[in-house]
Amino acid sequence: MSEVTITSEPRDSFGKGAARAIRRANRVPAVLYGHGTEPRHISLPGHELLLALRTPNVLIKLEGAVTELALPKGVQRDPIRGFLEHVDLILVRRGEKVTVEIPVTVVGDVVNGAMLDQQMVQVQVETEATHIPTGVEVDVEGKDAGFVLLAADLPLPAGTTLVGDPEALILHVISSPTADLPAEAGAEAPAPASVESAESAE
Amino acid sequence: MLIPRRVKHRKQHRPDRHGAAKGGTRVVFGEFGIQALEHSYVTNRQIESARIAMTRHIRRGGKVWINIYPDRPLTKKPAETRMGSGKGSPEWWIANVKPGRVMFELSGVAEPVAREAMRRAMHKLPMKCRFVKREVGEA
Repeated sequence: MSEVTITSEPRDSFGKGAARAIRRANRVPAVLYGHGTEPRHISLPGHELLLALRTPNVLIKLEGAVTELALPKGVQRDPIRGFLEHVDLILVRRGEKVTVEIPVTVVGDVVNGAMLDQQMVQVQVETEATHIPTGVEVDVEGKDAGFVLLAADLPLPAGTTLVGDPEALILHVISSPTADLPAEAGAEAPAPASVESAESAE
Repeated sequence: MLIPRRVKHRKQHRPDRHGAAKGGTRVVFGEFGIQALEHSYVTNRQIESARIAMTRHIRRGGKVWINIYPDRPLTKKPAETRMGSGKGSPEWWIANVKPGRVMFELSGVAEPVAREAMRRAMHKLPMKCRFVKREVGEA
């Protein structure tokens, strides 16, 4: 579990003009809330925050305008250029149990002719805020078609409990579909000959 | 080819081509994706053509998701027709794609194969696109 210290500055002007001015100064507007407290508006250094958020569920130790521990709850990015537009942070305390989503990482290769179909790439767990696991690793080396892994079978780290349906399908190994199969899936609706005929069926 | 079974209105206004995608900007189903970098109307023929280009390259194995649907009709007046006399007849079905939208996703193949399959598919699409991968563990 990584912990990153970031210095925050208070933010007292709001709206898109003020937010854009903050972004021009290479900072990111953020809001901090949780535990029934009033939301606090802050700004954080853009580059440091970007590096910190590369780790899933990174614990952020805020200093400066506020001195708190926080977890990222929502991150808004520009869809094309990828820079951070806004971050929602949720307050946490040491020793507190939090519900977070951790990534499910697959290692190894399934047997030739079979295909891995991963249905869930993240799984929701309850864990201590200061000891959030970076992820859960699943080994599929040599698994053949028919192998099924449910949420209850995940090798979760100690101190972490699963939240949600234990019967949820995480991944399964299926036999490789042929190149023609997706074609059939894509043409589910019987294709009318033209636009006109599609509307005449109205 | 993808086409709506029934529609409420035969002829619609042309969709808005401004702004960026509000959602569907990340790879969520598969491991790799094609992301639009420009606005464009993508016809059902282009979607089908891109899908065929991808599936022919990956041959056996792999799973393809199409995240866009051509649910907007575009009309066209016949050539050499005087203006007036009402709106033209529906000619194409299009998906209104905005920058950032992940249009196709792929999983179950190695990255080099996925890159090449998607490069071929991008040639069938009317806008600039890029290859994207799923980001793990972001809030």
